[in-house]
Amino acid sequence: MTAKFLKLRDYVLLLSVVSIFSFGCGTSEKNDKESAAEPLDSTASNILNVNGQIFSIPSPIQTAMMIKQSGANYNKEMLNSAQNSSTYSTSFKKALNLGVYGADLGYVTIYEQTQDAISYLNSVKKIADDLGVSGAFTPETVNRFQKNLGNKDSLLALVSVGYRASDAYLKNNDRSEVSGLILTGGWIESLNFAVSVLKIKDNEEVKRRIAEQKSSLNSLIKLLNANYSQPEYAQLVDALQDLSKVFDGIEFKYSYEKPTVDLDKKLTIINSKTEVKISAEQVQAISEKAKSIRNQIVG
Amino acid sequence: MKKVFKVFIVAFSLFTAGNISAQCDTIANLCAKHLEAKFISDGQQYRALLLSTDETAEFHSTFYGGSTYRIAACSGLTDGNLVFSIFDEQRNMIFTNSEYKNAPYWDFKVTSTLDCIIEAKLDARNQGSGCAVILIGFKQ
Repeated sequence: MTAKFLKLRDYVLLLSVVSIFSFGCGTSEKNDKESAAEPLDSTASNILNVNGQIFSIPSPIQTAMMIKQSGANYNKEMLNSAQNSSTYSTSFKKALNLGVYGADLGYVTIYEQTQDAISYLNSVKKIADDLGVSGAFTPETVNRFQKNLGNKDSLLALVSVGYRASDAYLKNNDRSEVSGLILTGGWIESLNFAVSVLKIKDNEEVKRRIAEQKSSLNSLIKLLNANYSQPEYAQLVDALQDLSKVFDGIEFKYSYEKPTVDLDKKLTIINSKTEVKISAEQVQAISEKAKSIRNQIVG
Repeated sequence: MKKVFKVFIVAFSLFTAGNISAQCDTIANLCAKHLEAKFISDGQQYRALLLSTDETAEFHSTFYGGSTYRIAACSGLTDGNLVFSIFDEQRNMIFTNSEYKNAPYWDFKVTSTLDCIIEAKLDARNQGSGCAVILIGFKQ
């Protein structure tokens, strides 16, 4: 292959010719033209592109980091027990809880709870293996994790790369819906961290982070909606839609400010501001609904 | 004859799809090097197959205030083939790498949480079609 990436149309034409010769049959001229002219549908190419949209959900590790920075103590009680990993029987539940355990693994790692980190990594590996997500959490990954137990940053990087490998594997294998469930599980668990922390001590930053989930929630609903015809998806989407109604009442006031650029550092500072107004009642309602959805997932 | 043609189409589609996935994987692996050790991946890989320079891949994301993000954008086996731009939800442009020689990665320090739109398209001067990969990393 040349240094320059092969142009896709050239590639399609080349493949057509090679395929025709490989089949060794006298395909008619008409058929040749039809196959060469057949447009390559992006939805048929194992690329996550749901209804023309790609979805991005912030990492649950970011919320776990913010929770620690807020001064909250380590609270194992709010996590899903690592032992529950063997109780999930359907792919639907396994995928959701792979997301939940990823968030929990991030949380225990940030709090440098090494023994718990190993337990959660084993849960993650077990569910990933059950789901057939090969290559994401290999024995080598587990060994590297154990060797880096004293290095929080390396551990977080390893976990994140493992989840990214899962994401890529699932998209490559036309299993984007599983990828969506993992994102949903991670998202609901990170929201669970935030509402659990608020229950113990009021904190403006944590409240704000809860409000900031509005956009991610809407993305998840759109993503999961593609499988709404399946009853288990429908139940989850309905519950998330009910939760989103509370988020709809939160006030956001956005003001654009021109960004500043530091060319030497290849850095842009985004100066725009968003003010958020979330009431105690809204926090309470989100807390109750989020807990209910989360308990359905881990139960 | 009709049956043979159908088999051909199915085999061709599977073969092509498999190769596109493999190409995307190769590009993603190259792109991951731009995140380096100091940024933590958000755990996702954003891919789109762009069939022409008129096509744009678009996705919505949230950048949390107080964090610094790195966006790496790649297509093909060399840097600089993908143009990526970030807009706020009012469509004010926050950044485009086309102003910086299609830089394959850029960092963003976020003052206040921002819901944004990330767009990616191929640079017509370098590449007519291919797999576009975007990776996002963060640090607190």
